Amino acid sequence: MRLRSRVRLVTMTAAIALMSTACAGQGQGSGGTPAETGGAGGSAAPVTLKFWNGFTGPDRPAVEAIVSKFNASQTKVKIEMEIMPWDVFYDKLLPSLGSGTGPDITAMDTAQIPQYAARSVFQPLDDMYGPQAIDPGVLVASAVDATSFKGKKYGVPMNFTTLKLYWNKDMFREAGLDPEKPPATWAEFGDYAKKLTKDTDGDGKPEQYGLAIADHATVPMWPILFWQNGGGVVSADGRTATLADPATIEAARHWVDLVTKDKIAPIGLGGADADKLFQSKKAAMEIVGPWMTTGFKEAGIDFGLAMPAAGPKANVTLGTSVAFTLSARADAARKQAAQDFFAYWNNKESQVYWAVNSGFPPNRTDLTADDLKESPYSAVFGQDADKSRFYLAGVQEFQKVNETIFEPALQRVLNGQGDLEQVFGQAAKEIQAVLDSAQ
Amino acid sequence: MLPTLAVLAVFVVWPMLQALYLSFTDYQVFSPARWIGLENYGRLVSDPAFGNALVNTLYYAAVTTPVSVGLALGLALMLNRRMPLRGFVRTAVFVPVVISLAVVAIAWSFLLDPNIGLLSHWLSEIGIVSEQGWLRDPALAMPAVMAVGVWKNVGFYMVMYLAGLQSIPAVLYEAARVDGAGTWPRFRRITWPLLSNQTMLIVIMAAIATLQAFDQIFVMTRGGPFFRTETLVMMTYRVGFKEFQFGYAAAVSWALVALIFVLSMLQFGYFRKRAVTY
Repeated sequence: MRLRSRVRLVTMTAAIALMSTACAGQGQGSGGTPAETGGAGGSAAPVTLKFWNGFTGPDRPAVEAIVSKFNASQTKVKIEMEIMPWDVFYDKLLPSLGSGTGPDITAMDTAQIPQYAARSVFQPLDDMYGPQAIDPGVLVASAVDATSFKGKKYGVPMNFTTLKLYWNKDMFREAGLDPEKPPATWAEFGDYAKKLTKDTDGDGKPEQYGLAIADHATVPMWPILFWQNGGGVVSADGRTATLADPATIEAARHWVDLVTKDKIAPIGLGGADADKLFQSKKAAMEIVGPWMTTGFKEAGIDFGLAMPAAGPKANVTLGTSVAFTLSARADAARKQAAQDFFAYWNNKESQVYWAVNSGFPPNRTDLTADDLKESPYSAVFGQDADKSRFYLAGVQEFQKVNETIFEPALQRVLNGQGDLEQVFGQAAKEIQAVLDSAQ
Repeated sequence: MLPTLAVLAVFVVWPMLQALYLSFTDYQVFSPARWIGLENYGRLVSDPAFGNALVNTLYYAAVTTPVSVGLALGLALMLNRRMPLRGFVRTAVFVPVVISLAVVAIAWSFLLDPNIGLLSHWLSEIGIVSEQGWLRDPALAMPAVMAVGVWKNVGFYMVMYLAGLQSIPAVLYEAARVDGAGTWPRFRRITWPLLSNQTMLIVIMAAIATLQAFDQIFVMTRGGPFFRTETLVMMTYRVGFKEFQFGYAAAVSWALVALIFVLSMLQFGYFRKRAVTY
């Protein structure tokens, strides 16, 4: 046991230390990968690209299908894909790239790209864009823009979507609300949520909640409410912390009160918890993306989809995108191979397949309604792209700003640990320091 | 002996020394490590996150160590006697030791889930309602991960105590009984002193294990809500693997090494005076 304890301690330190040894070797010696790969040239041996991503959800089969179609469609490039849970993906990525055993291409949320780009983990891909290769003119502009960091594009869109309000029509009916009419304003949104919250056994803990809203480990939900009132976590240009702005404080106070006093939503949910709550019919509304359509349908929920209720200042929702990236160590041959694959992914045929089989809207703007008629959801999620905003766009240290500062501050407030203005005020100062140090 | 030492050197000593070196640098994997002297350690002193993780770690250790050891001793005394189902109970207490802590933690997360958790349901039947669920409640998350830590390790310490109990010569108890000593004096004057070698080993081991609490916290709470369950090892993980400050993370882990070393030496000094031979 004593040895075991020691071993555990050592694995932690060892993990960190081993990485360093591996990397030291890497820095000196391993520029030499071109020899084994680039040499392939015109001969038969295909360039093999390792591709990592975290599409473990219901959209996994669609990703796998397009990759195998690409592999079958030509002989020059072979994609070797490894799908792992996102948290494992992010834990492994930097150490594996450092030791030279990592993937050539990855797919990740565009908000995560800057922290890797700033550390020169990925290479800029601006020259991949062009009418003959990957035409930015036909792709969703905000998804392409979201790959930018300090004026260079480090990614090519893999998917794009807006978040929409899901509501459970049966629960609306039971609560005496019109099941075809989602809330259109904040007043209605809050009012409906209260009517849909029920504590049937009177123990103070509702059995049914009006809303499922996650405060950590989630696609951003609370920031949408801040934006709708003209506030936010950081300004649109990513340079100024706005968490302590009156508009943000006002929005936060309004919704925190509804959650803590009227108990319209449980406190402390992660993204998966919120989805589970809606899926098990214990919450009547949730703002989330198309990846949940399959799960909710399988649970037998009769749900509607709409733009989230407009706020006092803005009618806005979250836009979110996953983009392909290319390792900084990839040589010209690998870059060309990656470009072939990214272009294939974004061609018309693949995008129709993707939209129909994943529920995501297509990345392309030139597909007709007829192309997408088999997919009831993708059109809805593609709408209002012009009313969508990306969370922490262009912010270099996503992890620090979101998970180390913002989410814990929000959780403190929701748990009644400290006054809203004071907690958000302190968090805003910390966020500003992080933003400034990255300039 | 030599192969063992070689393995130890490669997988234990060398990585630890490497980490020590890194703790004096600003290493971030992709750019070369730059020597920054004691800067990381200076930062530790003024970093509220480190203070929080240190307090959490000491709190976790201060509660789970005595509880685990006390419970293990109680169970060992109970299961050293003849009683029905003794083999079954011994096995039941020991089973968690051989299961991976991550698996244990996933199982407990389900048991404690506020909506589908069996344990939450039973507790609410007897009037203990946790509105948010144990793991999401800032006041209850730490006790929950502590309970899992105790449950996981108590069986191992119990077995060590059982071995200790069985090595105490029966003649001592017979003699005490002849002299008219009751249950408590027999425990106080014979069992407890003669177990002190085991107690020393168990307490030191338990303290080291609890100061390194990580697995079940990683699985059950990820250090949340708002860092209420973030221990030093969790912080090392967050700062290193999430925020890519590997140099600073190495400094945090070396601070933990120093803490464990000092506490273990203090314990060793305390118990050595009380070592018994018989």
